Amino acid sequence: MATLIDNRPACIDVGALVEPDRVHRRVYTDPAIFDLEMERIWGRTWIYVGHESQVREPGRYYATTIGRQPVLLTRHSDGAFYVLHNRCAHKGALLVGDRCGKLKELRCCYHGWRFDFDGKLLGIPLEHGYDDTRFDRKGEEANMQRVARAESYRGFVFASLSPDVPDLETWLGGVASSIDNMVDRAPDGELEVAGGVLRYEHDCNWKFFVENLNDMMHPMVAHQSSSLTARIVAKKELPADSPVPSAIEIIAPFTESYSFFDDMGVHAFDYGHGYSGGKTSIHAKYSEVPEYNRRMEAAYGKKRVEEILSVNRHNTIFYPSATIKGAIQTMRVVRPVAVDRTIIESWTFRLKGAPDELLRRSILYCNLINSSANLVGPDDQESYRRQQLGLMSESNDWVTMHRDFGKDEEIAPGHYYARGSSDISFRNQYRAWREYMTKGGR
Amino acid sequence: MSTELELHHRVSQFMCREARLLDERRWNEWEALFLEDGVYWAPATPGQPDPENHVSLIYENQLLRKVRIARFASPAAPSLQPFPRTAHLVTNIMIDSHNSKSGEMTVNSRFLMIEYRRGAQRIYGGGYAHDLVEKDGAFRIRQKKVDLVNCEGPLESSSVWF
Repeated sequence: MATLIDNRPACIDVGALVEPDRVHRRVYTDPAIFDLEMERIWGRTWIYVGHESQVREPGRYYATTIGRQPVLLTRHSDGAFYVLHNRCAHKGALLVGDRCGKLKELRCCYHGWRFDFDGKLLGIPLEHGYDDTRFDRKGEEANMQRVARAESYRGFVFASLSPDVPDLETWLGGVASSIDNMVDRAPDGELEVAGGVLRYEHDCNWKFFVENLNDMMHPMVAHQSSSLTARIVAKKELPADSPVPSAIEIIAPFTESYSFFDDMGVHAFDYGHGYSGGKTSIHAKYSEVPEYNRRMEAAYGKKRVEEILSVNRHNTIFYPSATIKGAIQTMRVVRPVAVDRTIIESWTFRLKGAPDELLRRSILYCNLINSSANLVGPDDQESYRRQQLGLMSESNDWVTMHRDFGKDEEIAPGHYYARGSSDISFRNQYRAWREYMTKGGR
Repeated sequence: MSTELELHHRVSQFMCREARLLDERRWNEWEALFLEDGVYWAPATPGQPDPENHVSLIYENQLLRKVRIARFASPAAPSLQPFPRTAHLVTNIMIDSHNSKSGEMTVNSRFLMIEYRRGAQRIYGGGYAHDLVEKDGAFRIRQKKVDLVNCEGPLESSSVWF
C-alpha cells in the first residue's frame, strides 16, 4: 500500500485516500492535504460565520475566518448583514484588528481609506492622485470585497468563498431541522448569542474533533475519569434525599451504557451532515424549569410545545465547520489553523422570552464540558492528540470505519440511519470529504 | 504598624502555603482551606462581572472541587498521564480591605504558574483575588478568583487549579 500514494504534493491522488469503509492516515497528518482542504472544502462550501444577533445594529461587526481567510460579518444601515473580506482594497491590511465592536465606518489604520459596512468605498485621502490612472474609484476593485455567497438560516449566518454552491437551505437539508428545533425552543421564536465565548486550542487535526461529535463508542471510556467519578462523588457527598445538582445532571450521562448510546441512534445526510439522538439523548433528563414551560405553552400551545420538546438531539454537525446542541442551546465552531492545530469556539445562546435559568444552564454546560480547564474535554482532546501522534506510525496506512458497515438504513431519500455504535457518521463525513476534495481535482 | 505588618505576614504565609499545597498535590488539605460554601472562579473574559451569566474557564463549588480531586486519582484520565508538575509563585500581595471585627478581607496578588506537561513547559499568569475570612486564628477562602492575563484564549487543555 505504501506505493499507492506519491508523496509529492502535486501528485496527491486524494480520491485514493478514502475508501467506503476506511480512511488513509495521511488525511490527518499531511500538511499538503491540509492545504488542499483549505482550498477544496473550506474554500468551496458553506462555512459558519456567526449569528445575526452578534451584529444587531448598523455599524456592528464581528471578525472571524473562513478557513485561513479573514472575514467580517457586518450590519449595514440598510438593515442587511454582509460578509466581507477583512482586507483593505488599498494595500491589503485588515480593516479591523479586533474581534467585534461598533464603528461609524470602516477606516483603514494605515492610509485612512474609508469603507461602508456593505464594503463600498467612501473615501480616499487626496483622492485626485488617482486621476488619469487605471485605478477606478467607482469600480468594484475599489471596494472591500464581499465573500461570494452569504445567507442566514433563522439567524445562523453561513458564507461560501465559492459562488458555486447550492442555496443554504438546500445544502443544510436534513439538519436544518436541528436549527429549527433550537429556535423553536425560544418562547419568542428567536435566539441571541449571550454569555461569551470559550476558545479552546487543540493540538490536533480539525477532523478528529468533528468525527468525535457523533462517536458514541467513546464517552463511556474516555469520560470515565470525569463522569463516573462525578457520579461516585455526588453519591458520597450529597444526602440521599437531596435534589441532583445541575452540574451532576450534566456530567453524569456521559457514562451512560453502550445500549443507551446505541438507542440514541445516528442520522446521516449529504454533504457530511448528521446528528445523533432524536427522541432522547444525554440532554434528555435535565430538570424542568416550570416557568419556562409556562411561557412556552403561552406562546405555542400545549400540543406544539410537546412536539418541540420531544425532539432531543445530541450533536448536530454542519460539516465541516460547526455543531450545535439544540436541547442545551450551545454551539461549537471549528477554526482549523494547521494540519495539527485547531481552535474550537464554544458559544451559548439565549432563548428569547425564556427565564434566565435556561441561559445559565447552557453556560454551566459549557463551563463543565467545553472549557479548556474543564473535567471532560481534556480527555477528548488528549485522545485526539494521541491519534495525531499515533498515526505518524506507518505500520498501517488505514484507519478503520468498518463498524456496522453495510447496515445503514435509508429511511428517506438521502437520510440514513444507524444505531449509535455504528461508524456511519465517519463514513458519511469521508464520503463528503472525498466528493469535495476530488471535485475539480483528481 | 506592627499589627498591620503582622497581618500582612500571616496573609502572605497563608498564600504561600496555599500555593505549596497545590504544587505538592495535597489536594484535600488545599480544599479544606475553602469555606464549605467557598468558590473557585477563573473567568473567561477580563472584567467579567459575574460567573452565572457568562462562561468561565472554571467555576467550582465544593462538590465540583471534590469531583476534580477524585478525578486526579483516577487511572482513567488520559490527559493526566503523566500528571502535570507545577510551580505556583505568588507575589505583589496587597490587603485591599480588612474588617477586623468580622475578620473578612480581600487580598489581591499576582501569580505565575509554571506547568510541565506532555514534554513541554507552559506559563499561566495573572491576578489572584482572595476573599478571606479569619476565624480562630486561621484563614478560610470564601472565593478565590483567578484572572488569567490570557483568559479569553485560545487556551490549551489544563486540569490543575491555577
